[in-house]
Amino acid sequence: MPFPPRVASVLSSVFGGPSVRDRAHRLHFADAGHGFDQFGMHPDFVAVGDTIGSPLYDRYFRVKSYGAENIPKTGAAILAANHSGSLPVDGAMLWVDVYRRTDPPRTARPVADHFVTALPVVSTLFARCGVVGGSRGNARALLESGELLMIFPEGVPGIGKLFKDRYHLQEWRVGHCELAIRHRAPVVPVGIVGAEEQMPQLAKIPVPKSLPIPYIPITATPLPLPVRYHIHYGAPLRFDLEYTPDDADDPEKVHAAAQRVKAEVQKLLEKGLSMREGIFR
Amino acid sequence: MRSVLVTGATTPLGERLVRSLIADTRVSHVLAVGKEPPDRALPFSHEQRLTYVQVDLTKSRQVRDLLFGVARDRSVEVVVHLSQHRSARDRGHKVHQANVEALRSILDLSDRHPTIRRVVVRSFSVVYRVSMDLPVLVTEDHPLNLDPRAPQYVRDRVEADLTACTRMGLTNAEIVVLRCAEALGPGMGSQLFDYLASPVALRPAGFDPMVNVATVADLVSAVEAATHGSGEGVFNIPGADTLPLSEACRKWGCVSFPMPGPLVAPVYGLRHRLTGSEFSYGLNRKTMHFGFVLDGTRAGEVLGYRPSHPVDWPVGGVVRMGA
Repeated sequence: MPFPPRVASVLSSVFGGPSVRDRAHRLHFADAGHGFDQFGMHPDFVAVGDTIGSPLYDRYFRVKSYGAENIPKTGAAILAANHSGSLPVDGAMLWVDVYRRTDPPRTARPVADHFVTALPVVSTLFARCGVVGGSRGNARALLESGELLMIFPEGVPGIGKLFKDRYHLQEWRVGHCELAIRHRAPVVPVGIVGAEEQMPQLAKIPVPKSLPIPYIPITATPLPLPVRYHIHYGAPLRFDLEYTPDDADDPEKVHAAAQRVKAEVQKLLEKGLSMREGIFR
Repeated sequence: MRSVLVTGATTPLGERLVRSLIADTRVSHVLAVGKEPPDRALPFSHEQRLTYVQVDLTKSRQVRDLLFGVARDRSVEVVVHLSQHRSARDRGHKVHQANVEALRSILDLSDRHPTIRRVVVRSFSVVYRVSMDLPVLVTEDHPLNLDPRAPQYVRDRVEADLTACTRMGLTNAEIVVLRCAEALGPGMGSQLFDYLASPVALRPAGFDPMVNVATVADLVSAVEAATHGSGEGVFNIPGADTLPLSEACRKWGCVSFPMPGPLVAPVYGLRHRLTGSEFSYGLNRKTMHFGFVLDGTRAGEVLGYRPSHPVDWPVGGVVRMGA
């Protein structure tokens, strides 16, 4: 770990203030015995993530969110969102938004691609804030313990989509619906408007598989632009009312469910695009 | 009332288990087996409830004589196999015999033994494959480390584990495999213990994986639960402490020093040549990058085992006060 929890506690107290500390203290999580959960999340580091994310959330991207009441207060659930922006800032803003807009606060557990867990420093800091590697076993364990998963079904192709493809959902993976059906967890569709323009991607350079990154992006700007984020949460999709857990083994049903989630996210994106007054407003 | 045979009885875990079984009123007699001569074997004795036998388990004739001699005479019902070569650096045919062939002999003979009804095999968490694309929380169906380039220490343990697993349901004796987390303590064959024994513990910079640590007391209670249980299967036996590697170092009282990954192996290689330390970075490279925590749900549900003896961290109190 780059620094121990007590340093994280001091950092969040000094730079985040009492509200950040208070939120972290009220965070419910499954302590495995030494202040960390089994995946390495620690409330003091969540507070650091909140502290780092706040200026970006409040001032740089000026995030507005709609429909946060659709996030279940307790129990297993899955947030399924569009993914874009060359850098995973959309994941960070969604993480902060969920953390701030739930009471008692919940941390969404982002499910990251495997390569993230192999990145030095990043993997550790992300794990302390609740990120887990994208394996079925991790997702299953979290849902079984009633956690809120954050999944981007477009995966890396989503974050790497070219500027000309913005707001066009890429291939929509179905794993989140398989998990939702098997564990009877509602899926909350999320449309993130703004991120798709933050760092226009013009091309990508393939890299050898031995490197721990999927590609090198060629972007129009070296840093994300201060676009305004609009996060729209849709009504939870209750697949447990239509399917039994055994239906998770039926590819057709899982595919149909995933297509419904995709359609809902697309609808939220269209709604968000029609509502906003400009990329920066 | 069961009569129990314990191999590896002179190891720290074996000693504690034998002591506990002697005190257990459900056990009629304990047949302790070790390779040390009786006068140097166990620091305790019990005329009625304990018999110590010196046996070299790598010799199949001696194993046969043990099981069909004194074990049959004592009506042994349960065999607890704890004996494993502990050094991670030793290799060769003799080590393989101790790690794998001894267990194979025990399983072969138990199948046609008149009294043995149950064999409990201590396995190790090192049998599991660790990779960035595999779950942090490891269940019993997690992939095993079948890498042919893995050191003999790992390959032997995987082979022994699979030797026991493939016979489940096919022999007259019930077979229970306990895949145990590393227990911190001298003589336990724990790589983590050797790692923490150094005043400065190196780790690859930027990584701080979650580790799960057991204690001898917890392993004893898991083996006891398996000894008295019924049915067979594979069970993860986690410890009560799950924490990041750097926290484990801090609580153990050593300095966790991050350094560039490619330098860690040569430094530990040099340290081994200079000091003869047991810790092998090559063996632990993956677990020092990616989290690895045993999921003990099945052991809890079937055996009733739940870790309840946390590590007595030498400087834990200081750390807690500091925090």
